Parts: sequence; structure tokens; C-alpha cells
Amino acid sequence: MLEVKKLCTGYGRIQVLWDIDFAVGENEIVALVGPNGSGKTTLLRAITGMIPVKSGSVDFLGESIKGQSIEEIVSRGIAHVPEGRRLFPGLTVRENLILGAWRTKETSVDHVVDLFPRLGERLNQIAGSMSGGEQQMCAIARGLMSKPNLIVIDELSLGLAPVVVDEIIQALPSIAESGTSILMVDQDVDAALTIATNAYVLEAGHCVLSGKASDLLADPRVQESYLGVG
Amino acid sequence: MDTFLQVTAYGLLQGGLLALVAVGFSLVWGIMNIVNLSHGAFVILGAYIAWEVQGWFGLDPFLGMFVSAIVLFCVGYVIQRYLINLIVNGPVFITLLLTFGINMALIQGMNLVFTADFRSIQTSYGSNSFEIGNIRIPLVRLLAFLLAIVITFALVAFVKRTRTGISIMATGMDRGAARLMGIRARHVYALTFAISAALAGMAGTMIATIETFDPSKAGKFTLMAFVVAVLGGLGNMYGALVGGLLIGLVEAWAGQYLSGTWVNGIAFLVLILVLIFRPNGLVGKAFYAARVEI
Ligand SMILES: Nc1ncnc2c1ncn2[C@@H]1O[C@H](COP(=O)(O)OP(=O)(O)OP(=O)(O)O)[C@@H](O)[C@H]1O
Ligand SMILES: [Mg+2]
Repeated sequence: MLEVKKLCTGYGRIQVLWDIDFAVGENEIVALVGPNGSGKTTLLRAITGMIPVKSGSVDFLGESIKGQSIEEIVSRGIAHVPEGRRLFPGLTVRENLILGAWRTKETSVDHVVDLFPRLGERLNQIAGSMSGGEQQMCAIARGLMSKPNLIVIDELSLGLAPVVVDEIIQALPSIAESGTSILMVDQDVDAALTIATNAYVLEAGHCVLSGKASDLLADPRVQESYLGVG
Repeated sequence: MDTFLQVTAYGLLQGGLLALVAVGFSLVWGIMNIVNLSHGAFVILGAYIAWEVQGWFGLDPFLGMFVSAIVLFCVGYVIQRYLINLIVNGPVFITLLLTFGINMALIQGMNLVFTADFRSIQTSYGSNSFEIGNIRIPLVRLLAFLLAIVITFALVAFVKRTRTGISIMATGMDRGAARLMGIRARHVYALTFAISAALAGMAGTMIATIETFDPSKAGKFTLMAFVVAVLGGLGNMYGALVGGLLIGLVEAWAGQYLSGTWVNGIAFLVLILVLIFRPNGLVGKAFYAARVEI
């Protein structure tokens, strides 16, 4: 579905990512892990065109999306829940959700409210006045509104209580099954690798490890660096 | 007392028009962070278009203003889409410079095409008026005032209630996030600017039925729009309405009780005080600060 080959990018003249290869298939959940500043957010931004790709290729559904504008890429069916949530703070939750479905013109919010019942009670609240966790739910729900082919989620569990994280994580496989592949970044590496099909480890802008998530979970290097085992 | 009431009534009626001039200016400032120095030129251009349309086809100015609106909508769209969008991320100074240049070009263009003579749009009912108590209300002014109020409320309803309107607000709050929703920010910007220009054109037409106009009056309307927008809070459309009525009153009172040149002086004074004490506007700060780049 999404295929990235030899991708290099950065900010201005500073290069941040070197020769990244990875892929997300149909109905897959892919986790991206790595220490702070390793380039996870940068990679997600390059995929949705928020920053230009310097070299390499990015294909989505068999077509190259490299060099296209954010709007074009998004309209092909990729949703991006960006770092820092980026809700529209002055609009209501419902308006935020409806804008999430800008592409599909969907006006019913039922399918995301089922996932986050909490939002159902707050549809008319101004998004900026909600708690951090509620805003995170809103950001993820907004991304799912258009029933995208692929959703890219940066900092999935940021600000969420462990119970809520568990709920969302539990919901991911059914989202993936229903036709929305997931590419996620999360601090909770253990949870991310448990739920994911495949995973990639970034360090200082290079992809240092990749493979089946279950294999990575058992890999001593991952255990030592990210899981605090050993 | 009667004089005072009469002046007050005129001030309020005039204020409604100022609000219509300012509301689009304020919208553009709030959404795109552009202080459009060519706004007053759009007002005057609108007046000329309706004047020409009346001359050629005998169309009543209260219908002709829709022709002005359509023409200015297109002009505004093209100017934003192909000119201002190129530098919209630049520092405020650059956008000021560009819109100042557009203003000069429009004014010189109008001087060439229409000459610098004073003009006004005459109608058969132009001198009709009626009285409430001892206060005389000219029909045209009342009509213009009511239309200005209706159009302002229509704009607010459009921006707050429609899908397109909400996308305009969203783009103003966080352009990057709006683009991630698939909203074409360039188009939204052009649309916002086009709406602002269309409203200016309508306001200009109505103003032309009340007072004389010529290209050199453009600067006055830009200044008025600036003062009203700052008073009302940037991007705050109801604020523009309140600010417009307030400035209309201040102008009318100052015109009646002070000598002529004081009128502009007072507008400048308000402007300078605001710039010194509240550079981000009186009420509009939260909205303005909500913008995020990337
Ligand atoms: N807007 C920017 N301009 C310039 N450099 C940036 C920008 N954003 C990130 N960087 C740099 O790019 C590198 C990678 O940052 P990135 O945000 O991708 O890391 P990350 O893996 O998402 O980290 P974290 O886990 O802390 O979110 C860092 O060295 C950072 O300083
Ligand atoms: Mg990050």
C-alpha cells in the first residue's frame, strides 16, 4: 500500500533521514520506534508532504506521491494525526470531526463516537477547552473520520490515561481489519510492538532494525534500549 | 438636542456602511495575517463599476452593487491566488509592501480610466426621506444601512455555519492542519480575499449613492477599515460591526462639533493609541495567536 525506498530528507540544509526503506501493507499495523530526535516525526511528515522529500521514492497504492502537495496526498486516502495534535482550537469537537472528513464530505460522526464514547458527550464543546487526553481522542477520531486507507499517527498515547491507551490499542486491530492500515509512533514501545504486525527502529536518522513486531519484541537490542529489560 | 439626535442618526447610518467596509478587511487580516492596504481601492472600484453599469444599462445601484460584487470577487480571487499567495508566508512587512503596490496600481489605473473627477451615483429616489419626530432619515441612507447590516450578518452566518465557512476559519487557525484535512489552503485564501473584495465593492456602491467619490478617497476607506478592524478585534466580524457603528458615531459627532480636519485626526489618534498599547488588537488576540506554522 505504502512503499518508501531510499528516502532522504531534512529541514532546509540539515539532513535528518538517510536512505529509509519501509512499507505498510493492507490491513497492517506498523510501529515506528526510536529515541527522541531520531526522525520519526520527520519521516511521517515526509510521507504526507509536510516537508519535501530530497531523494528516494514514496509510492501509495501503486502510484508515486513524491513531490505532491499535502492536499493531493491526503486526498488519496492518507490521514495524518500530527505531532502536537493540531486540533482547530476555536472550533467545536463536531466541527473538528467534520473537517476530518473534508475529503469524503461525511457528516455523521457515529463511527468515531462509537470508538470514543467520551467525545459523544462533548461534540459541542470548543476543542481547545478540553483536557489533553480528550483532545488526543479528538485528534485520532478526526483522522479516522474519512475512513482513510492509511492513518499515520504520531505520539498515539500522548497525554492519555493508561486505561484509555489500552482501549485505543485494543481497537486498532479492528480498525486495521476494516480497511484502514495504521502507521504509528508511540512512546510505549512494549504496547506498540505487541499490537503491531511489523516494526522499524530508527536511530539518528537511519533505520537500524526492522521486521516482524513479535521478533523485534524478542530482540535483545530492542529489549535493552527500549523495554528496560536485561 | 434635535441636532444631536440628527447627527447621531446620521452617524449610525454611516457606521453601518463602515462596518461593511471593515468586515472583509478584518476577515482577511484575521484569517491570513494580511493587512490589505488595497482594500480602500476595492471600495472605490466597486463604486465605479456600479456607476458605469448605471451609465450603460441604467441599472439601479442597489442592483448594480451585485455586479460590483461579482467583478470584485473575481478580481480579488485572482489577486490573492496568483500574487499575494506567493508571499503570504513572508514577514508582515513584505505583505504590506505588496498590498501597498496593488493599491497604487489600482488607484493609478482608476485615474487613467475614469479620470480623477468627483462622481456620485444618482437615483430617482435619491432625495426622498422621511421623518421620525424631528429627525430626518434619507431613504437611501437607511436602505444602505439595512443592507450593510444584513450582509454583515449573512457573512457571519456563512463563515460560522457552512462547511466552506468552517474551512476558512480552520485555515485561519492552523493552516498546516487544515491542509492535512485535504483543505486546499491556497484556494481558501483566494476565496477569503475574494469575499472581502466583493463586500468592499458592495459597500463602495452604496457609499457612492450617498456621497461623491474619486480614486483619491481609497486611502480614507483603508484607514477607516483598519481602525474599525482593530477596534473590533481582528477577524471578529461582529466586532467589526460594533467598531463600524462606533467610528460612524465618532466621525459624525466630531464632524458636527469640531472643525473638519479633526475627523481624520481622531481616527489617527485611535489608531496610534491602539498600536502603542495593544499592537495585537483590542479583542482579537486569542484568535490571532492561534495560528501555527508548518
Ligand atoms: N521544524 C524543524 N526544523 C528543523 N529541524 C527540525 C525540525 N523538526 C525536527 N527537527 C530536527 O530533526 C531531528 C528529528 O526530529 P523528529 O521530530 O523527527 O524526532 P522524533 O523521532 O519525532 O523525536 P520525538 O520522539 O522526540 O518526537 C531532530 O534532530 C530535530 O532537531
Ligand atoms: Mg516526534
